[in-house]
Order: sequence, then structure tokens, then C-alpha cells
Amino acid sequence: MNRVVTTLSAAVLFSVVMLGVSGCKGGASSGGAAGKPAALADAPDVTFKDLQGKDVTLASFKGKVVLVNFWGTWCEPCRGEIPILIAMQQKYGPKGFTLLGAATNDEEKTVDSFIHTTQFNVGGQEMLMNYPIVMGSDDISTKFGGLLGMPTSYLITRDGKIAKRYIGSLNENQVVKDVESQL
Amino acid sequence: MKLAMRFARVFALSALLLVSGAAATMAQDATPKKPSEIVTTHPYISLDPVPRGKEFQAAIVVKIATGYHMNSHKPSDSYLIPTTLTPQLPAGFALAEAIYPAGHNEKFPFSPDKPLNVYSGSVTLRLRLTAQDSAALGATTIPVTLRFQACNNSACLPPVKVPVSLQVEVVAAGAASHATHPEIFSEKPSS
Repeated sequence: MNRVVTTLSAAVLFSVVMLGVSGCKGGASSGGAAGKPAALADAPDVTFKDLQGKDVTLASFKGKVVLVNFWGTWCEPCRGEIPILIAMQQKYGPKGFTLLGAATNDEEKTVDSFIHTTQFNVGGQEMLMNYPIVMGSDDISTKFGGLLGMPTSYLITRDGKIAKRYIGSLNENQVVKDVESQL
Repeated sequence: MKLAMRFARVFALSALLLVSGAAATMAQDATPKKPSEIVTTHPYISLDPVPRGKEFQAAIVVKIATGYHMNSHKPSDSYLIPTTLTPQLPAGFALAEAIYPAGHNEKFPFSPDKPLNVYSGSVTLRLRLTAQDSAALGATTIPVTLRFQACNNSACLPPVKVPVSLQVEVVAAGAASHATHPEIFSEKPSS
């Protein structure tokens, strides 16, 4: 009887550990790795402001695959991945994809100046950011489940579900693969 | 039954190994910590007590967690947020100068070509202050705000302002006083 109890206990412990491991991987990815946020199946109903102060709802992008990229002009890793984002917008924009850059902890005038003056080397060509830029906010970050760091990106499916979350600098191969799988 | 026992032992051992592995994986996760886990502040005053009319220094020793850095006071470009120390001086105190050490240039995975000017490890920021003749006698608190923006090799935390309190004992002009913390204040600032 004791042996049966021991065996069952071990099996239960094993299952708990396996659940814990998968929970760690899915809860918060980092360093460009991707994970499925457990509690964020639907993209939140959020309204950003564009740099002219007009409302931009996330829902207005329904029908497109969207990569919402929370970034900041002050955030060097965010700036480091912008060439990847420009290239993705260029390549996949015509196929029903869009980047949405949500500037966070920034001021409109700083962001406006940045996006109109800062050139990025994309495959040897100097380019400005070529995708929509909106202003993020603490409220919006909270609705996304809270940002653990910047950059943080969310891949939203055509029907408005969060497919993946990326914390930290994007792994180019991984995010391209993920976006292609949604198109 | 012996086989069942062995099976149970193997399961238990596997579970333990997995627990250790999961813990290690979580510990190595590059997900940024909270600012309070990344930076700790330790304030020091150069004189005890501080006589009215005397100049003294305050030092904030900032300890930055391993794997993290913060922009120096003179970061590499104008969009980056500098580390600053701003005192909210009570009546009777004057600021002569804030002294920031030079940062060091370092390349990161997200900026492999352009080195950034940063602080990491431990850094000492100083304020040169004077207790004027009008400073209130007795114990006084001087609030100071440390503003910084920290990152690891992959992600950044938003800029934060951390309050620090300097405790100063003010005495009459000419009263006895002695220098404290020579290990901090005898060092020449590197800025």
C-alpha cells in the first residue's frame, strides 16, 4: 500500500513540476524568446493616441496581423531592433501585416522629432520608421497585463487574439517565423 | 513490487531534477527585475555634526545589480536619460555642486557597434552642500531624488525616481565636528 502511495505521490509531483515548467515558459519570455501568455487570449480593447492626439483603437486593425511593439526613444534595446521592424513592415505590410509602435514613457514632441529625424540602417539603406506610431500609457500597458521591461511586443492574430508575447530584444528569425505563420 | 519501488524512486528523482532545472531556468531568465531589486542606495555625510557656515558633502553610493547598467550622467546621446541627483534643500542649506563620476563605455548585444556610456557595479554620486548660518539647529532631513534608467543586456526598465534621505545634525558655528567615512570622501571624484 505504501509503495502504491509513494508511486502515486511521485507521479503527482512529476505532473506538478511539468506544469510549473510549462508555466514558466509561457508566462514571461525574454531575450527574444516567445511564449503564449496564459491569461491573454484576447487582445485587450485599448485606444491609443496618435502623435496628433487622435484616437487609434487596436480593434481598428482587425483583419490584419499586428505586432504591437512597446518601445521608447530612451530605450536602447528598443532602438536596436527598429531596423528589423522596418524590414518586416516593408516585406509583410502588403500581405496584411502591420507593426504598431507604442511609444511608452515618452513625450509626443520627443517621439515626433525622433521618428522624423532618426535614420536606421536597413540592409545598407538609411530609412526612417515606416509604420504607425502611437503613444502608449500606463493604462494601456496594464490592460496588456503589465510590461515587465522594454521592448515588449505582442503578436496579434487577424481575429484579435494574442498569439505571442516577446519580452526584450526580438529574435529576428523567431519573430519572422511567427509572423509568417499568421499570414 | 520491487519494480514498482524502483519506478517510484526514478519518478521522484526525475521530479527533483526537474525542480532544480526549472529553478535554474527561472533564475537565468532575462526578464527585468523591479527597480528596487536592481538599484540600492546608501547615503553618507562627510561631517558629524555639521557646524553652521561649514561646507560638507553628501554621498549616495548606488549599487547596481549584476547584469544591469544605468546611463551615466553624460549618456551617449540626447535621447538617453541621464542619471541625476537632485536635492530638495530645506531652508538654510545651499548646493555648491553635484559631482558625478565619469561612466565607462561599453558595447551591448543590442548596440554592438556603438558603445554606451554607463554606470555598473557600484557608483558614488556626491553633493557639495553648505549649512548656512540660517540652518535650523538639530537633526534635519535633506530629501534627495535619484533619477535613473536601467537596462540589462536585452531589455530596459522605464526611468524611475527614487527618494533618498540624508540625515544631518546641524550645530552652532565653530562647534566641534569630525570627518566621517574617509573611505568614501577622501577619494577624488573622477568626473
